Amino acid sequence: MWDEKKVEDLITEKHTACLRRGFQLWPQMEYGIMPALGDYRWTQDLILSTWIQAETGALPTNGLEYRSGRSGGGFDVLDFKFHPADQALSPTEAVDLSVSLNCRSYDRRLEIPVPFYGSGMSFGSVSEQIMLSRARAARDWRTFTCTGEGGYPESLFAYKDNVIVQVATGMFGVREETIQSTPIVEFKYAQGAKPGLGGHLLGDKATTAVSSLRESVPWVSLFSPFPFHSVYSVEDHKKHVDWIKTINPQALISVKVSTPTDIDMVAVGSYYAGAHILNVDGGYGGTGAAPEIAKKNIAMPIEFAIPRVHKFLLQEGIRDELVIMASGGIRTAYDIAKIIALGADGVALGTAELVAMGCTRCSNCERGRGCPFGLTTTDPELSQLVDPAWGAQRLSNLYKSFQGQLEDILRRLRLRTIRQLRGRTDLLIYQS
Amino acid sequence: MFDCSHTRYDIQAKNTPDIRSLPNRFLVRIKRHRLAWLLMKELIQYWGKWKVVLSRPCMYGVFSGPLGGFAPRENLCVGCLRCTTEHPEIVQIYHNEKRLELGDSFFSPENFENVCYEARTGRVPVRGAGYRGPFGGTGWDGMWTDMSEIVRPTRDGIHGREYISTSVDIGAKPPYVPLDQHGNPLAHEPRILSIPLPVIFDAPAASVLSSPELIEALAVAAAATGTLAIIPANALHKLKLRSRNIVPLISSEDPEAIRSLHSEPLMVEVAGPDQQLLAKAREHFPKSVICTRLDYLDAVEIVRLVSSGQHVLHLVANYHGQGRDGRFVLDAIRDTHNALVKAGCREQATVLGCGGIIAAEHVPKAIICGLDAVAIDSALLAALQATFVGECMERESACFELPKEFHAKWAARRIVNLMASWHDQLLEVLGAMGLREVRRLRGEVGRAMFQKDLEREAFSGIEGYVG
Repeated sequence: MWDEKKVEDLITEKHTACLRRGFQLWPQMEYGIMPALGDYRWTQDLILSTWIQAETGALPTNGLEYRSGRSGGGFDVLDFKFHPADQALSPTEAVDLSVSLNCRSYDRRLEIPVPFYGSGMSFGSVSEQIMLSRARAARDWRTFTCTGEGGYPESLFAYKDNVIVQVATGMFGVREETIQSTPIVEFKYAQGAKPGLGGHLLGDKATTAVSSLRESVPWVSLFSPFPFHSVYSVEDHKKHVDWIKTINPQALISVKVSTPTDIDMVAVGSYYAGAHILNVDGGYGGTGAAPEIAKKNIAMPIEFAIPRVHKFLLQEGIRDELVIMASGGIRTAYDIAKIIALGADGVALGTAELVAMGCTRCSNCERGRGCPFGLTTTDPELSQLVDPAWGAQRLSNLYKSFQGQLEDILRRLRLRTIRQLRGRTDLLIYQS
Repeated sequence: MFDCSHTRYDIQAKNTPDIRSLPNRFLVRIKRHRLAWLLMKELIQYWGKWKVVLSRPCMYGVFSGPLGGFAPRENLCVGCLRCTTEHPEIVQIYHNEKRLELGDSFFSPENFENVCYEARTGRVPVRGAGYRGPFGGTGWDGMWTDMSEIVRPTRDGIHGREYISTSVDIGAKPPYVPLDQHGNPLAHEPRILSIPLPVIFDAPAASVLSSPELIEALAVAAAATGTLAIIPANALHKLKLRSRNIVPLISSEDPEAIRSLHSEPLMVEVAGPDQQLLAKAREHFPKSVICTRLDYLDAVEIVRLVSSGQHVLHLVANYHGQGRDGRFVLDAIRDTHNALVKAGCREQATVLGCGGIIAAEHVPKAIICGLDAVAIDSALLAALQATFVGECMERESACFELPKEFHAKWAARRIVNLMASWHDQLLEVLGAMGLREVRRLRGEVGRAMFQKDLEREAFSGIEGYVG
């Protein structure tokens, strides 16, 4: 039967089958531990437990630590002060995880049933298959995924109600029709992994398809400059918002920023410019290639930025009018709950989704043909390793597990909605 | 007439391969009988489709040698783990313990690898998939630099037509020039020099000082990058090097070394606050900047030295960044800077510092804490692939071994590459902050965030947190 198949298809089939088997087998620890897997932030346990959750939608039962890593700070030194089991809400009592993405008194109402959506990953930084996987999962969960700054592949139009369109400094792939079709437009001012440095798509990844969508020259490196050349002030930003609102009056506006010292002022500025959502992107995440110096050293981690923004907006009396989504280093359901307790409304997931689809965090995204697992690559052969249906199912399973854990956390804290958790630092414990 | 011949400062990097191979990052362990079994199984399953049978999971060529997986080429392994994911029963990838022996407890293997990469390529290390290390830590690790969302020194890209200056001035900077009634200056013209990079090369450790190739390499690299290389005078006069970028280090143990120096260096460094030696140096080198080299002292003592006319100070910590009192340089630099500011004499002095500066990000961080420029030491030796024998802590006793194949031309090229990479990374940090020149960064702690402060602000009130 396979005689008729192309050799290339057979090769893809062979490796895809082996990979999927590996994603199943490794977390079962039949072959012991995977010695070279993991790091301080994403430990071996976290990666393997994410694979299990993506496979089954359930938590690991073999003792893998699925809640936190061992970075020695931030999320990894925080825990919850749970009530004793007999005082927790009963599993039969419903808890509400939904988050509204527009807290203003005007513009369209938009709500997601879970406090997370997908963060921006561009076509070029990831394959079209990955974008489709994320979009399908977002549709199934009535949440969102984001295009990143790389344009809007035609295949994504089927999911347009669940796709956030990003407008960033290079304006790559920004088109009137995509802005008109989206419920949310995200302005990316900066990104956590390389704050203040703009974006860079290496020439090897700028394939014909990628460059065509970005209206650029194939195989030539693309720089997304920093910052917006037309924005020097909050008023200039407002001008951008007005421009988008003229094209799509229904669209909600999200502003993605990094975490400088004055992140609180940035938040207020974004609010006054008319943003509905502020996506605060911390430095410890990031899915693409970034200079090593930027990852650790520039701008503060999200665990410190969110409380600063939350408290300042409270003081200003506008906290309930701006939705704060945190991203950049959110790995687990516990991280989601912790950052909400520190003051966010919800989170944007990036790396966790890639890990669910097989990322080992080997950091070779930028090397040669790109990711050897077919994730952060535009290589036509490698990208076939991820089938969108399979990818979407893995993401859905992960979301299901996150949903279950978040509900469990709320019950053990005796809270009925995720909104009640926001800013509740009194429910946290610091464990040095 | 204006001089229109301005050329932009740029360090030309040139690929300079390692002189000896670093240990492979990963070890590839294969169960050969299982591999043979897999091959047989696939031969039957894909009979005639050789391309399918021979298609292996590694994209980097680890299994592409003549014997395929039976003799994996470990040097090509990047640790992507695809092979072991696909075939857990056949292949396992391990971290190579030998790689973990690079450097010492302060100069970590990751730092060593990074410095080697920078010295090899002159490029900024770039990797994917976010940050992998500890959350924060002590010393430089507990500090983040700022960025601006919209402010930028140039709208043309930091490597574009516009320019971020990394020049710093070293010398006495009097607040005003006293004039006589005819308008002529009453005092001597202040001795001052500019270097295009806030990084100079510190005197090599005693264990490698006998290498003339190393001294020559430092001198050549300093001249090529426009910076300074500090070399003990007694090591210099044997070599007959003539570059003005060489800073002779004179100590009281060898006061006559001054007389043996015939060139007129841009700067002369005098060990310890030795008034007699300083006076001698000033007299012998009337146009050179005279710098006093001393251990990190109590800040009050430093203010006293500056007030007494020693305007250029080079504060020295050990290779692990600890002063004599055991404090990390970060705190000592901040104390020194603050004391000088409080005494109203910071602008008149130049403070250089060395010890514990082993990565590109440490340069802006040290400047933010209050240094005008840094002197690097063990990082230079790591760039030259020196072996750290045991803990390399104290300058006098630390034992470094240079590679046997080492030669001056190669070493100079590596150091120039290292500076090219660090210069570019400094531009990245300055660009992110929206600063046009590194001089504006000095002592600007508002451009930094400290873990202790951030944690107190974010976590105070959380049970169990004690600030």
